[in-house]
Amino acid sequence: MKRVMFALAVLALIVGSAYAQGTIKIGGIWTLADITGKQGSAAAQLAVEEINAAGGVLGKKLELIVVDDEGKADKAAAAVEKLATVDKVDVFVGGMASGAELGKIPAFKKYNKVVMSTGAAGGTVEKGLGPSPDSDFYFHLHPWDYNQGASYAEGWDAIQKKYPNIQIKKIFLAYEEGAFGKSSWDATKILFGSDNRYIVDGASFKSALLGGGDYTAVLEAAKAFKPDLFIWAGYDADALPLLEQSKAMKFSPGIYLGAPPGWPIDFGASKLSPNVMLYGMWSTAMNNNNPVSAKFFKNYVAKYKEEPATYFAPLAYSAVYILAEGIKNAGTTETTALIKALEATKYVSPLGETITFKPSNIIKHQGITRQKILQWQNGEQQVIWPFEAATAAPVYPFPAWK
Amino acid sequence: MVMKRRTAIIAALSFAAAVVLILWKPTVLIYGLQAAGLYAAVAIPMGLVLGIVHIVNLAHGEFMMVAAYAAYFGCKALGMDPLLAIIPTAIVTAVFGWVIFQLTIRRALKAPELNQLILTFGLAIAFTQTINLIFTSQTYKIPLDYVSASMDIGDLTFGVWSFVFVAVAIIFAYGVKFFLTKTMTGKAAVAVGQNPRGAAIVGIDVYRTYGLVFALALALVGAMGALFLTKSAIFPSVGSPFTMKSFCLIAMAGIGNIPGILGASVLLGVSENFLRAFRPTRDWAEIVFFVLIIAVILARSLKGRKS
Repeated sequence: MKRVMFALAVLALIVGSAYAQGTIKIGGIWTLADITGKQGSAAAQLAVEEINAAGGVLGKKLELIVVDDEGKADKAAAAVEKLATVDKVDVFVGGMASGAELGKIPAFKKYNKVVMSTGAAGGTVEKGLGPSPDSDFYFHLHPWDYNQGASYAEGWDAIQKKYPNIQIKKIFLAYEEGAFGKSSWDATKILFGSDNRYIVDGASFKSALLGGGDYTAVLEAAKAFKPDLFIWAGYDADALPLLEQSKAMKFSPGIYLGAPPGWPIDFGASKLSPNVMLYGMWSTAMNNNNPVSAKFFKNYVAKYKEEPATYFAPLAYSAVYILAEGIKNAGTTETTALIKALEATKYVSPLGETITFKPSNIIKHQGITRQKILQWQNGEQQVIWPFEAATAAPVYPFPAWK
Repeated sequence: MVMKRRTAIIAALSFAAAVVLILWKPTVLIYGLQAAGLYAAVAIPMGLVLGIVHIVNLAHGEFMMVAAYAAYFGCKALGMDPLLAIIPTAIVTAVFGWVIFQLTIRRALKAPELNQLILTFGLAIAFTQTINLIFTSQTYKIPLDYVSASMDIGDLTFGVWSFVFVAVAIIFAYGVKFFLTKTMTGKAAVAVGQNPRGAAIVGIDVYRTYGLVFALALALVGAMGALFLTKSAIFPSVGSPFTMKSFCLIAMAGIGNIPGILGASVLLGVSENFLRAFRPTRDWAEIVFFVLIIAVILARSLKGRKS
C-alpha cells in the first residue's frame, strides 16, 4: 500500500511539473479591497481566459496568479517576493497606488522580470525606477501625473478653439488637503497659472474619505471667485455631497468638473450628474465607436454580471493582451528578448487609442500619455476630448440649479 | 450664586458673539451650528454609554457605519427613503448592539480599562474589515433632492438640510435626560452608573441595565446611521473619525454631562467654520479641535489644583 501511495505521489509531482511547464505565469498585484484592484484583476483574468480560449501563447496556457497588496508598500514588496520565488512567475502585471508601487521597485529590480504596470501615476515612482537601462524592464501604461496635467491643458485649449462659445479665463481648484489634492493644486498653478493666460485660485477641503465632508467653506470661496472652470480634486466619496452642497448654495460655474480616481456607484443615475465633466480614460459610450471596447465590455459583463465602473478594468485587460502579444513575438519570456518585442507594441486598445511605448521624462517605456475630458450626459460618461475618440459634443454652460 | 453668575456671563458672551457673527460673517454661525448638530448627535450616545456603563467604546463610529450600510441596502432593496429607515435601523442596530454587548463587552467590564479599550478597538477593526471584505472600499450614496434645500436671505444663499442634525442633537440630549430622570429604568441606570454595587444590593439587575443602556445608545447610533446617509457617502472607514471627535467632545463637556456635549459641539463647530472663513487660517480648522480639547483639559487641571 505504501509503495502504491509513493508511486502516486511521484506521479502527481511529475504531472504537476509537466503541467507547470505548460503555462506562462503572470503575477498580478492589486489592492483587492479597492474597486480599481477588484475590477482590474477581474479584467486581467478575463483577458487570460480569452487568450487561452484562442489557443494560448507559444502553445502554452496563460495563468494569472493574483496577490493582494492591501494598498501598502510592505505588502506590495512581499507580494513581488512571493510571486517571484514561490510561484516563479514569468512576468508581472498590476498596480494602482503610487505608494504601494514604490514598495515594489527594489524587488522588481532584484528579479528583473518584465513588469506591465497599470497604475502609479506619481512622479516619485518614476524617480524611484530611475533611467534606462536599469528601468527598462518596467512598462508603464498609465500616464504620469505630469502627462495628465499636460493633456488637460492641451484638451481645454482644443475645446475652446473648436467651441468658441466655451471661454475659460478663471479657474478655481477645490482640492482635498492630502497628497493627491496638494499635488493637483501645485500642477494646476504651474499648468494654468504660469503664463497668465488664466487666473487661477484654489482652496483645500477635507475629503469625506479622510473624515471631512463639509464643503461649505471651499464652495463659498469658489462662489466668490466666480470661476469659468471649477475643478474639484477629491475622492468618489466627495462627488455627490459636493454637488448637493453646490446646489444648496446655488453655485453653478460655467464648467463643473470632478477629478476623482473613481465615481460612486450609480452616480450617473443621480439627478445632479448631468453635464458634470470629468477626467478619465474610458467610458461605456466608447463601445459605440470602438469594437475592442465593445468586445471587452460585453465579455466582462457576461462573466462578472456587473459593468466595469473604472478605467482600470480595460487598462488591466490591455496589459495582459500586450504582454501576451509581446511574449508571442519574442518567442520567450526571457527579459531582454521580451523587452525588445514589447518595444514594438502597437496594441489597438479598448481605451480608444493604439498603445505604443515611448520614453517619458525618466523611463524608456511609457504607454498612454493622454487622459480624456468627458462629461456625464444622460447617465453616461461621454468623451468630449480627444476629438478622435469623442462620443458627444459638450453641453455648455453647466445649467443653473433649479 | 457664583455658578449662576458664571453661567450668566457665559450666556451673555455667547449671545454677543452670535450677534457679532450674524452681522459680520453669518455663514460662520450657520455652518458652525450645522456642524455642531452632527457632532453632538453622534457624540451623545457615546456619552450615555461612557456615563452609565463606564466603557470607552472605540467602535462607536464603526457601529454608526454598520448601521448606515444596513440602512443603505435596506433603502435600496425596498426603494425606501433613508428618513423612513431611521426607526427600523435604530431597532436593528439596538438588537445588534445588545448581542455584541452580551457576547463581548459584558465579559470585559470587570477587566482593566486597557483591556476594554483593546476589545472595542478590536471590534472597530473587525467591523471595518468585514464591511471592506463584503462591499469593498467603493463608496455608496443615495441621491436625495431635499438635502439640497436652500434659503435666500438677501445675497446670502445657504443649505438648510443640515439643520436637521441640530434638531436631532437637541432631541437626543433632552430625550436622554428625560429617560434618565423621569423613567424607572432610567433612574435605575443612573443608580447603576453612580454605584453598581449599591444598585445591585437594592435589587437592580446591573448587567441587564448595562445591556439596556448599551442597546438604547446603539438605537440612537442606528438612527444617526440612517440620517447620516442623507448627507454623506458611506464607505468602510467613514465612522472612525467620529469616534475620536465624540470622545473628545465628551471629555470637553465632562463625563455624564449630556447637555454639555451640545455646548462643546457648538464651540467646536463655530470655531472650525470661523477659521475656514478666512484664507490665511483656512487650513487651521482641523487644528482648532485639538487646541480646544487641550485648552479645556488644561483649564480643568488648573482649576482642580487651585481648589
